[in-house]
Amino acid sequence: MTALVATPNGVWLREAIAELKRTSRLPQFLVPTVLTPAAFYGLFTLAVAKSPSPEYALATLAGYGVFAATGPALFGFGAGVAMEREQGLIELKRVSPMPAGAYVAAKLVAAVATTALALVLIDALAIVAGVRLSATTWIALTLLHLGSAIPFALIAFGMGMRMSGKGAVAVANALFLGGSVLGGLWIPTAMLPGWMRTLGQITPSYHLGQLARAIVGVDTLGAPAGHMMAVTAMTAAGIAWAWSGWRRSPA
Amino acid sequence: MSRDLADVARLTRVSKRLGGRNVLASLDLGIHAGEVTALLGPNGAGKTTSVSLLTGRIAPDAGTATVFGLDPRRPAARRRLGVMLQSAGLPDVLTIAEVLTLQSGYYPNPRPLDETLALAGLDDLADRRCAALSGGQARRVHYALAICGRPDLLVLDEPTAAMDRASARVLWGTVRDVANHGTAVLLTSHDLAEADALADRIVVMDAGTIVADDTPAALRARAGGSVIRCRSQLTPDRVAWAPAVRDAGMDGADLRIVSADAAATVRALLDADTTLTDLRVADATLEDAIAALLSTQSERIAA
Repeated sequence: MTALVATPNGVWLREAIAELKRTSRLPQFLVPTVLTPAAFYGLFTLAVAKSPSPEYALATLAGYGVFAATGPALFGFGAGVAMEREQGLIELKRVSPMPAGAYVAAKLVAAVATTALALVLIDALAIVAGVRLSATTWIALTLLHLGSAIPFALIAFGMGMRMSGKGAVAVANALFLGGSVLGGLWIPTAMLPGWMRTLGQITPSYHLGQLARAIVGVDTLGAPAGHMMAVTAMTAAGIAWAWSGWRRSPA
Repeated sequence: MSRDLADVARLTRVSKRLGGRNVLASLDLGIHAGEVTALLGPNGAGKTTSVSLLTGRIAPDAGTATVFGLDPRRPAARRRLGVMLQSAGLPDVLTIAEVLTLQSGYYPNPRPLDETLALAGLDDLADRRCAALSGGQARRVHYALAICGRPDLLVLDEPTAAMDRASARVLWGTVRDVANHGTAVLLTSHDLAEADALADRIVVMDAGTIVADDTPAALRARAGGSVIRCRSQLTPDRVAWAPAVRDAGMDGADLRIVSADAAATVRALLDADTTLTDLRVADATLEDAIAALLSTQSERIAA
């Protein structure tokens, strides 16, 4: 009986490979998601500041890397899942023996892979601008930036299971742009007006941005441990929101 | 009751409200191994809701839905279940072979890809992307997805809805073949020819309850021998009292009568209405049998 009910090996892996294939065959999604963060970083930080100091390029790199992760997570999950639901693809998965976790994990792998491509461009620009970090710091920063996709992906997945495709695109845009501004990913939080700082604290963007600054050794607002706790709590809430969305009746 | 033990799937006293309407009212339905069961009935009878409950897409408000003794929402139950839905889509940018390989991987003992492709009539389309398929081809992919895991229970919701007659006949052949190898099949259909060609057992539903549950032959017999059609001044109410009449109603401008003894009924009709024209007598079909069973408008079943 146990043999009959066991999940065959490799389901999660095959699901992830299929999702990567799908993403790679959708250039209209992939190209803008990969290019936009690097374009913004290059334009607003490096070009506008004329000859930015390596310190300035580094401080903004911390935030733009988080920004690069929010795009694929919010659009790939939020808008993508909502559209797949409207096309009846979620129904197809739901009546199949696929473990629900494999679907979410596969989409997460695709979002993280897309983020990695965007990070390569941003990091290359930072190096051109004179940013120098130790290998350990690069690794830690990259892991944090890649991991930033997780809380956003969970929030967006819950949205995608509840909203229409059009609605999810609108909300994903609002979270993408709003979270990045309020969370201090574009303009450092210290330079924002007080009410925006206060609002920014409810976004994962803010806490992830502060953690990234802590990793590269730039001054932060508040202790990293507090930001860590906030990110953990938001991720846990994201899991509950995503799971209840999956279990919702399709009718 | 020993038959219940052999049921591969079962709805037990299931009630379900959807959109403020009682769709199912204390429904009992068992699906038996190695048997093709067709679920027929007008729109809104509760067919799709029954299928949704058995495939774990929705949960009952009262009563229980089980597949192989398990809650169908559990992956362990679904590993023995193949489902072809009406409403499902396909991932546009993947090829048929990729979609089928992925789905086969969910099952412990799947068919080889070539066998699945052949059974669904998709041999030449393996490398075609799903976005480039016609409606009928997409339905065949959904059928392939349903059978690729060698399920013990195959659920087909309106399987041939978008297919031409020739493709439908091919599919019926493979469904029969799958059933002959011991798989239980549950299908819903609007197409009585499909139910007659495939089913060992027909369950007729109306307004959330089962109104008949029998073999196609027994249902036909139950309708009585013949169907008489004519143009007449007589109303169905008056004709209902004529000899051997089982059922009478209007079908368009035709007066339509189900009779156990056509000769006796026709003699009485001709006596009662000397202006009667266009008289036709035919053997009762499955459609007539089911129309007679449904107290509501008979036209809806054929739509």
